[in-house]
Amino acid sequence: MADHSSHDPLAGIPFDRVPPSGDYGAGGAAGVSVATTDTPFIALVVARNGFAASVAGRLGRAFGVEVSDRASAAIGAASTVVGTGPGRFLVLSKIEPDLAGTLRALLGNEAAITEQDDAFVTFDLAGDKVPDLLAKGALIDLDPRVFLPGHAATTVIAHSGVTLWRVHESGWRLLVARSLEASFTRFLVASGAEFGLRLENGTAGRG
Amino acid sequence: MRIPCPYCGERDAHEFAYLGDATLTRPDPAAAEAEQAFHDYVYLRDNPAGAHEEWWYHANGCRQWLRVARDTRTHAIAAATAARVSGEPA
Repeated sequence: MADHSSHDPLAGIPFDRVPPSGDYGAGGAAGVSVATTDTPFIALVVARNGFAASVAGRLGRAFGVEVSDRASAAIGAASTVVGTGPGRFLVLSKIEPDLAGTLRALLGNEAAITEQDDAFVTFDLAGDKVPDLLAKGALIDLDPRVFLPGHAATTVIAHSGVTLWRVHESGWRLLVARSLEASFTRFLVASGAEFGLRLENGTAGRG
Repeated sequence: MRIPCPYCGERDAHEFAYLGDATLTRPDPAAAEAEQAFHDYVYLRDNPAGAHEEWWYHANGCRQWLRVARDTRTHAIAAATAARVSGEPA
């Protein structure tokens, strides 16, 4: 039995507070699970003029993944490199506390590095119904036959700027500006309630 | 209307901000007629019915400026290219 009814899953939850962990909407096995418990280290790499290909190559060799200068996610065991614009890459790492420093040492004068550890909330969405949920807020085609594992997009979902990529067959990762966590979580809960949604959050960020 | 961004692919016009005419060239401020030329450059715009070149900024995507060839009567888009060519001075 879900903790929060499918009739009004957000009843009683202040609109400016992140909805608490729990089961929302339809009972039975959750069709979608949402977790914000993983807090990777994040940095933005912007290649200086003319160095995009070189930076992509260096990132690929350093993290053991195939990085190219386009909107895709190169997913490795501990690190992911996501293209967000020409010569722009978001790097996520589970194991590099000083990711920005590591990247500065790696790329030298070829790129500008900005630490983004606390800029984003990382939403990990899993389940076969994730594309149906996201379709309610997305402007792009996220059909699983079109948007394949490793594809990435920086776009708008539910009026919020989002960088998302498909991690594997039924797993999707979304980066949303941290200040929008409450409203974006509300969108996920309201849109996922019909499938049954399990939410797990509660980390307050590294701050 | 959907704009084929060269980096992101086809995207809804809501992701973009519109600047305007991409056919204008900034006048030479040292020229004798510079004052009149700048007045025309800043204020005067044609309103063509048909093919037009425009600047669009992909604010909610790759954050790049695009030069878009659009038909103002049909909204048919013939081309969209990056305003800045990589390797050239910004």
